[in-house]
Amino acid sequence: MKRKKNYSLTVGGTLTLVFLLFALVGQVWTPYSPTAMDSTAVCLFPCAAHPMGTDNFGRDILSRVMEGSGSTFFVAICTVLIGGAFGTLIGALTGYFGGRADNLVMRFNDILLSFPSILLALIFVSLLGPGRYNIILALGVLFIPSFARIVRSEVIRFRELDFVRSARIMGAGPLRIIFFHILPNARVSILTAAAIGFNNAVLAEASMSYLSLGIQPPDPSLGRMLSEAQSYLFQAPWYAIFPGLTIILIVLGFSMVSEGLRAIRE
Amino acid sequence: MQPLVEINNLSIRFPEGESSFDAVKKISFTVGAGEILGVVGESGSGKSMSALALMGLLPRDAEVVSGEIRFRGQDLLAMTDAERRRLRGQEMAMVFQEPMTSLNPVMKIGKQVGESLRLHTDLPAREIRERTVAALREVGLADAEAICERYPHELSGGMRQRVMLAQAMITSPSLLIADEPTTALDCVVQAQILELLKKIHRERGTAIVFISHDLNVIREISSRVLVVWKGQIVEEGSTKEVFSSPRHEYTRRLIASYPAREPQDGKGKPVLRLRDLDVWYETRRGLFGKKGKKQVIRGVSLTAREGEILGIVGESGCGKSTLCKTILGLHNRYAGTVEVADGARPQMVFQDPAGSLNPARTVGWILEEPLRLRGISDREERKRLVASMLKEVGLDASFAGRRPRELSGGQRQRISIGAALLMDSRLLIADEPVSALDVTVQSQILALFARMHRERKLTILFISHDLNVVRSLCGRIAVIYRGEIVEEGRADDVYEHPAHPYTKLLLASVAGRRAAGEDGRGPERPEGAGEAFLGLTDQKTERAPEGCVFFDRCPERCASCRDKRPDPTDLGGGHTFRCRRGQPA
Repeated sequence: MKRKKNYSLTVGGTLTLVFLLFALVGQVWTPYSPTAMDSTAVCLFPCAAHPMGTDNFGRDILSRVMEGSGSTFFVAICTVLIGGAFGTLIGALTGYFGGRADNLVMRFNDILLSFPSILLALIFVSLLGPGRYNIILALGVLFIPSFARIVRSEVIRFRELDFVRSARIMGAGPLRIIFFHILPNARVSILTAAAIGFNNAVLAEASMSYLSLGIQPPDPSLGRMLSEAQSYLFQAPWYAIFPGLTIILIVLGFSMVSEGLRAIRE
Repeated sequence: MQPLVEINNLSIRFPEGESSFDAVKKISFTVGAGEILGVVGESGSGKSMSALALMGLLPRDAEVVSGEIRFRGQDLLAMTDAERRRLRGQEMAMVFQEPMTSLNPVMKIGKQVGESLRLHTDLPAREIRERTVAALREVGLADAEAICERYPHELSGGMRQRVMLAQAMITSPSLLIADEPTTALDCVVQAQILELLKKIHRERGTAIVFISHDLNVIREISSRVLVVWKGQIVEEGSTKEVFSSPRHEYTRRLIASYPAREPQDGKGKPVLRLRDLDVWYETRRGLFGKKGKKQVIRGVSLTAREGEILGIVGESGCGKSTLCKTILGLHNRYAGTVEVADGARPQMVFQDPAGSLNPARTVGWILEEPLRLRGISDREERKRLVASMLKEVGLDASFAGRRPRELSGGQRQRISIGAALLMDSRLLIADEPVSALDVTVQSQILALFARMHRERKLTILFISHDLNVVRSLCGRIAVIYRGEIVEEGRADDVYEHPAHPYTKLLLASVAGRRAAGEDGRGPERPEGAGEAFLGLTDQKTERAPEGCVFFDRCPERCASCRDKRPDPTDLGGGHTFRCRRGQPA
């Protein structure tokens, strides 16, 4: 039997890898310094020297997008790691043991999930103050419930299967059963959730930076670039187009990855 | 005389990309008017495909490559859809294996059964209704009027299968195709449905193509049989001939399926002892609902001695699996005592080979897990033990790198048994371990159980609904009905001199035993008993909670059985049963 090609995964994976590489290179090398201003080259149309043009201060947009996507990836990855790790832990434990604690935690989860997460993140950040690490903390905590819910339902699905019973009969303890027997089966679901979570984190970071609550100037950030570009939309449309396009492609890449993962699971 | 159905050189193929899979390879056979043709083969052998082609119900991706299908001389494959549909509605009908999914869950029974009359005739509604009721009566549903108003989920599996039959027979077709119609049913219900098919055949002269993997059922019902193996007919002939002198290698393996039983003295020391065991589930409806108690096992006392294979027999829902769970400590709502001897380390082999191995792990990891849990920390040592266990259960060391989904059902059961043995278990609890397997694979797994028992002096608690299987393996058996042991004793005693009415009913229902009556085992079912069989399922509970469990279905009951649970009667040699008839009044 021949397996069908998983185009979503290949294309999505490639797209993501390209941007990851782009961002990583941006951490060590950019064509110009992202913060260097050049009053002789203000709002330049994209050309050989400045492939994405320059902004109103004469800064090279390519260099800024490179470094900005670095921050975007950093924030999104940290957020997903925090949400994924704690969410998986909480979901696995409550799902396996059930009972009153499960009920309590899950109702609290429902409450958190019923608010738009960006709104909660805004409240968080306004309490903690803006900045890269506060955003990570705020978004990370807010992502815990969605992971917890997915992992919990997976654990409940497997909890009653014979191979888990068999492990119990052999005398495996609950933690061993959860982490060595059940969770490996939930891998694909957790990865899918992580891919979706990553996208949400990218968008959330962009929107918060757009609202000046995220990464602070002079560090470049895609969201902040969009908000600054607003005033020059007609004068220098490339100023908005390139950061926007970068966000779109990063999100698209990850969406396709999660689509591909879902196909594998089925 | 022209045969009813004539299939010539039929080939069916499933294209899969560039390669393809031939499900049926140049099959030719005929079905005579009014005959019962048995088609036997294991799952995936292509035995259903030719029948589906006949009905025009092939799966969408299947492709008829060559051949012709003639029904009364007309070529079905050359017909237009409309012609074929009319023929299908009036001349042919089909009954499927899964009675739950083959009835529409949101349509009342009466409407479903009358549907084909509504489609293919212009009878008035009243007439259709009358015929529907008559058809339901004919399949032994006495309360036909009421059943018309019910939905499929309100009926039991056996009743649903009867409804399917009524639906199939309402247009008086000349050909009925039955695809594994009794496989999902309990033994007693299975016997009832077979009786019913025979009755339909006898009274209406309908030709039946009966497809099954179960040789015993085929032997009982059909006059002629086709053996299908890997998409080809490997043997064909009258049932008697094929069974008494099989020619093809595969047929021989199919028929010689059960290993001979080893002698078991049953005098070892007890490994497992249950005393007055009551087991229940707590039920609770919704968050604020009242707590309830559903009793599943009542007053069970049972001892399994070292080195014996103890069979536990009963139909689905009788509490067999709950009993296992309780013994293994997976269920703790019970009263009474469960004693397991020190060092017995009871392990379990489950029914469903698909769910019993962790799909995310390799076979090697799965088999190493018991060793890790036993504290063997040396990796090389574990690998060595796993490799030798793989050989012992009849596989080879290369299996360690595979994943469960790459294995067949029989191979998975071998791995399960291997894992239990690596736990150094002295007591193996096997819950229907072969009922999900094909017949030839069944016999291999049974032989493995027998060998493990012989070589390791294992004690095995073997739970099954299949009396043939139990008899071939177990030294002693206990018969369970609705959570109570109704009869217990040495296998030979129970099979040859059943004392409890339920045991008698079970034994009379065993397919193959009736057909192969000449081997002289146990009582033959008396003439006409089939008719008495037909109405037993839809009775309502009348017994008092303290009455005999079998009261509702008992053919030998009397008034006092309703209120009082009989005490066990000892027939000597450890053969006991619980029925009032054995006791002084």
